[in-house]
Amino acid sequence: MYIHNLNPSIKAITIILSVLLLTVVFDPITPLLFIIWIWIITLFVAKVNIKKFLLFLSPFLIFAFGMFWSNLAFGNEPTNPTEVVSFWGNNIPIENINTALALSLRILAFASLSLLFLLTTNILHFILSLMQQCKLPPKLAYGILAGYRFLPMIKDELGLIRSAHRVRGINRAKTLKEKMHQYKRFIIPLLASAIRKAERTAIAMESKGFTGSRDRTFYRQFTVTTKDWLFLVMMLSVLITLIIFAWQIGYFRWYTGEI
Amino acid sequence: MSKWTLKEVIVMAALSVVFGVIYLAFIPIGGILVGFMGPIGYEPIFGIWFIVSIIAAYIFQKPGAAFISETIAATIEVMLGNALGPLIIVVGIIQGIGAEAVFAATRWKNYSLWVLMLAGMGSAVTSFIWGMFQNGYIAFAPSYILAMFVIRLISGALIGGWLGKVISDALAKTGVLASFALGKQYKKRKKAA
Repeated sequence: MYIHNLNPSIKAITIILSVLLLTVVFDPITPLLFIIWIWIITLFVAKVNIKKFLLFLSPFLIFAFGMFWSNLAFGNEPTNPTEVVSFWGNNIPIENINTALALSLRILAFASLSLLFLLTTNILHFILSLMQQCKLPPKLAYGILAGYRFLPMIKDELGLIRSAHRVRGINRAKTLKEKMHQYKRFIIPLLASAIRKAERTAIAMESKGFTGSRDRTFYRQFTVTTKDWLFLVMMLSVLITLIIFAWQIGYFRWYTGEI
Repeated sequence: MSKWTLKEVIVMAALSVVFGVIYLAFIPIGGILVGFMGPIGYEPIFGIWFIVSIIAAYIFQKPGAAFISETIAATIEVMLGNALGPLIIVVGIIQGIGAEAVFAATRWKNYSLWVLMLAGMGSAVTSFIWGMFQNGYIAFAPSYILAMFVIRLISGALIGGWLGKVISDALAKTGVLASFALGKQYKKRKKAA
């Protein structure tokens, strides 16, 4: 449960820093090894359910695939056009294949990192921690939390609007044009009722003494301890080691073409 | 933040929730388009992800509306389970900065259709620069990058700017915005007419 109990803000910062580091990498080896590392952490240290993990990851496989083939099809002119591989009768430069692999693996690395965060973090704790560690104004933090609570209400409201339309004799949309009109009919009443609810919530919060000042106490206290910094240092040093390793064996590339 | 009343903040959060859901719903649509067309598949619908900053800026007409609302919408997306995770908050911040910069250039005074469309394009510019790094678009051929950029600009102006204005104006007509800048203007105009 080590990963679950980390400070949510530090966890998020670790992931964002790793992503930023990964954006300078244009070789396939570094992201591949890093993906394996993240999966080990997610599945064996954090003990995330593997089925759940794969289910969340699957949409990114499609995105990564789209990235892969379009990089082959629309990639930049290679600096070394003589090295090619034949594939279905097409000559594809090795350099473009490398870049295409690198970029699609990068997408998977981003997705894996995000899942490591999402599947091990209580999102309510994340907002509270952002307020306590990252100076997010309480007005905004509690505003976001209140907004988040509107979600089920909005779902109910959508059902109400739909029924109200049907009672008045508007049938279910069949063609695409009708569907567009239907969305237009839904969105305005939906937003209007959300705004009314929000206004009432704000009045309720103020009447109970919420001022939005930073000088307040918290029921749930979040702190940053050594183990949080340890996680940050560990993740980043693994990534940096991988980059150095790829460099040593001559695989590491960053962007070398012309802009 | 002190210039904002709690009511405005919560209403902005509520708007961001509704659009956070819409943003999420558009991701699989984009995903399918990308699977078939490559990264350019995202571009025609990209403007939808800027819409809340346009709507919030137009309704509240205050410094920070575009930036904060887009950031909240991104945070809500994370809470609802956008698989991009905390990274999407960074993306939201970057898109918000683009729109906010355009409003800042008018000193938060001008909210005509042109400015709203420019704000949508502002988000398109900043989000594209980020996309170049994040997704490594820089590795594509220059003509492909240019095509992506132009389509995103148009989408930002039309879906972000124009559609955002249409939705906000329709909301003002219902009267729910009576205590916000746009609703007040609407009332004044109605009285004058």
